[in-house]
Amino acid sequence: MANRSGDILVVDDEATSAIVRAVCQRLEAEGWRTRVVSKEAHGAADDMLWAALAAIDEALPDGVILDVRLGDYQDDQFKGLDILKRIVGRHPGLPVLMFTQYSQGVERDTVARSALQVAAPVEFIDKLASPEEVALRLRRLVGREPGNVVIGERIVVDTQAGAVRVRDAGGALHPVPDIVGRRFEILRELAQAWYRSPGNVVPFERLERYLDGDDTRASLRVRIREIKVSLGRALGTKLKANDFIISVRERGYRLAPPRG
Amino acid sequence: MVALLKRRRRGAHPWPAFLGIGLAVGGLAVMAASRFVAPAVPYFPQWLAVRPLAYIGIAGVVVGLALAVGAYAFMAARPRNGGEFGDAGDWSRLTEQQFAAFQHDLGRPMRRILGKCREVRGVLAATGEDVSIAVHELLDEIEEQAPSFRLMMSNMQAMINLETPDAPAARYPVEPPAVVSRIVERYAGQAREQGKDIAWWSEPEQFGFVYSDAAILEHIIANLVDNALRYGGDYIEIGVQRAGDEFQVCVTDDGAGIPAHYRPHLFTRGWTPEMGRNQEKTSSGLGLYISRTLAHRYGGDVTVASVAAPASGHHTTFTLTLPTGAQF
Repeated sequence: MANRSGDILVVDDEATSAIVRAVCQRLEAEGWRTRVVSKEAHGAADDMLWAALAAIDEALPDGVILDVRLGDYQDDQFKGLDILKRIVGRHPGLPVLMFTQYSQGVERDTVARSALQVAAPVEFIDKLASPEEVALRLRRLVGREPGNVVIGERIVVDTQAGAVRVRDAGGALHPVPDIVGRRFEILRELAQAWYRSPGNVVPFERLERYLDGDDTRASLRVRIREIKVSLGRALGTKLKANDFIISVRERGYRLAPPRG
Repeated sequence: MVALLKRRRRGAHPWPAFLGIGLAVGGLAVMAASRFVAPAVPYFPQWLAVRPLAYIGIAGVVVGLALAVGAYAFMAARPRNGGEFGDAGDWSRLTEQQFAAFQHDLGRPMRRILGKCREVRGVLAATGEDVSIAVHELLDEIEEQAPSFRLMMSNMQAMINLETPDAPAARYPVEPPAVVSRIVERYAGQAREQGKDIAWWSEPEQFGFVYSDAAILEHIIANLVDNALRYGGDYIEIGVQRAGDEFQVCVTDDGAGIPAHYRPHLFTRGWTPEMGRNQEKTSSGLGLYISRTLAHRYGGDVTVASVAAPASGHHTTFTLTLPTGAQF
């Protein structure tokens, strides 16, 4: 089952470059729906600008990936910036991830950002970034958690239904009965933090909000162990201390997809 | 003369030419005074009209003209386009221009290689073709070079910037945790390939803004994380915390630690641990030098603490400390 995250509009001023194609494949594998406006289909840059704006008006996407030249040379320096400004001007809240060539350097980001004049959710990513990095950045930029957070190959945290499901070898999903209530809330916090930024440690205090009693730290430790035991049983394995939910000394817990 | 003035405006210093012209004009005046003016002017002082003075005038003209012509020829020999490097600033502008062109030329084939590599993966995934695991491993290996290449390019750019002594230290509102998460995103794939794990936290969780330069911050932290992945252990932890009017970014790894006799050399330009072992260098040895120099420029520092115990507890922590900056 795909993890439907949203709709991404990709604007590419080349005839759909290999890098952009790889990014699209990666996003689709993660469950994003991608629409591409490319030079191939829309010819000159001016037509492409209008095609991009029309595509946004037609159905507002959750985010835009802009791969238009920010200008290798003096002449077309502001071509990409112009498209960015127009999109941001019309839709100030729309998250935009813009590719930059490495040669354009970090100063170009500052120039572009200052030209926008509004605090729009615009980020710049260098074109040598891996498709995985683009997908991760987009997740954080769009900031909207999907209904289902898919962790690794087999674990699905359904934040809307409040349930955890495990996929079997045939692809069928089975609910994990014991992870409900507070245990589910703790797992949801961890899953969402992991989805937004992998490796992000959720502080003890945030997780202890779901617990009562004098020693919430100990209580949290027990709940985490229970989650791991239940999930391990459903996965047919034993989750050890450094599997899935990992304690970070004096800080909190973080989630890591089970290996293998 | 007009050409000289134009060149002066572009930053060159034509004072030898002006001195030469001045001498020549002065010499002519003395000659005229001694040969023609003196007999015609009543009460003209005789000592001014003596022959030796005329010789001095002629010598002044000759030397002055030679100086003027020489200075002009010297300036004219300099390249016109972007080549007015009369001072250090002009030099670095020229170097920057050439570097930008070089970076662009180097970046293009790299993007193509990576693009094709990713396309191959896409084709394999689409066709479901059963290829050897070795092919996937080779593709991974190509992909793994990308972060190193990106860091190398940005280190070179930083070196150029450091050569510009009067470059202003820009300060904008920056969220350090956002910078850290960007770096974790960049290195996540490489870490996984190497079987390593990166975790990060910020204290307080809602960190807020500091006034610094996001690019510099990203550059320094990327160097520290790259080092930890290259030389450190399997677990890397990045912590961001506020401490009064400073903030710190600590990059800790659980590796074997850095031997005490290596520590004094860590921030030396060009030094790598292989040099101590007489092995071939695997990196430029510029990362930590650049990081510390940039941190100094922004009123901060990069320090290291390492425990190289033979048993448990060994680790290395690099700490970047920077001022939170004044709020305007």
